[in-house]
Amino acid sequence: MDELMAARSLTTRPVVTLAGDAVAQVKDTVFDTAASRITGFALSGRGLLSGPLQDGLPWTAVYSLGHDAVMIRDRRALASTAVLAREEPLRGRVLGARVLTETGTDIGRVLDVVVEGGTSGRVVGFRVAAAKQFATGPKRHRRRVYVPRGESLTVQGRALVLPADAVHRVTDDPTAFAALADGGAGRRKGPLP
Amino acid sequence: MLFSQVRGRPVVASAGAAQLGVVTSLTVDTASGRVGHVRVRGGRLRRETVLAWDALESLGPDVVLVRSTAAPEPVPPRHDILGSRVLTEAGNERGTVLDVVFEPRTGRILTVVTTLDEWPPDRLLGLGDHALVVRAG
Repeated sequence: MDELMAARSLTTRPVVTLAGDAVAQVKDTVFDTAASRITGFALSGRGLLSGPLQDGLPWTAVYSLGHDAVMIRDRRALASTAVLAREEPLRGRVLGARVLTETGTDIGRVLDVVVEGGTSGRVVGFRVAAAKQFATGPKRHRRRVYVPRGESLTVQGRALVLPADAVHRVTDDPTAFAALADGGAGRRKGPLP
Repeated sequence: MLFSQVRGRPVVASAGAAQLGVVTSLTVDTASGRVGHVRVRGGRLRRETVLAWDALESLGPDVVLVRSTAAPEPVPPRHDILGSRVLTEAGNERGTVLDVVFEPRTGRILTVVTTLDEWPPDRLLGLGDHALVVRAG
């Protein structure tokens, strides 16, 4: 019953220890190269005048990713950003990447990554600026669809390649997406971003 | 007794009966579930001083009697629990703290009352500059 959240909404979320102190805030989310899970966060200081921090937060040190804060045990959870540097920061590669199927259908471009909160850090899908053939409904809503990540995604260059049947799982309804992301079982999910 | 009732109560040294000031806030020791310290504002410069709970002789209905006025070591950080944001350990907000019910004789915390729930002291994990962290369900 972990809540789904958009990775872009994690920016500026405070990083809070279990002792209740806010030590930093999220600047960017880092994913692994297959875009399957969060591997960590780049951090910035709290407040207007504080710049980026040298420290990052590896996912292994996250106690829980919540709706209002990223919880960590204590300050020692923060590690040098060098640990995270090899992976893909959100802004760098995943956003704007093209989503294709194996048979060559263009689904669109990634607007945002939908992740599961709590302790899993799993990427459950993508919010996509849809290509023309997936754009249905009234004009002002039609460009935005959700695609579950599924199990078999491959990364080729700047494109995320899904199995051919992924076209049937494209939806513009967040509730339907939450059910799809869950394997269709319909386990109760929190509200979508 | 409530934290909000103690606020503003005069603090008097038991030897000499000189008034030290008035109580501005009580601090919570989340590890033991007791009142940790008493913050007092008073004197000619209206400075805030900290007294350990053990230095109190009694917490009467009209005045707070203190035995010694030595400052405790180390001085605790000033985080007022009243009005503090409440976060569950999962990272979700659960309202703000309205008041704290405690036993005036022993300093034991009985309940933390928030805008949404009431928390027993064994659910409290920590109180910091950002929030009071609680263990939910």
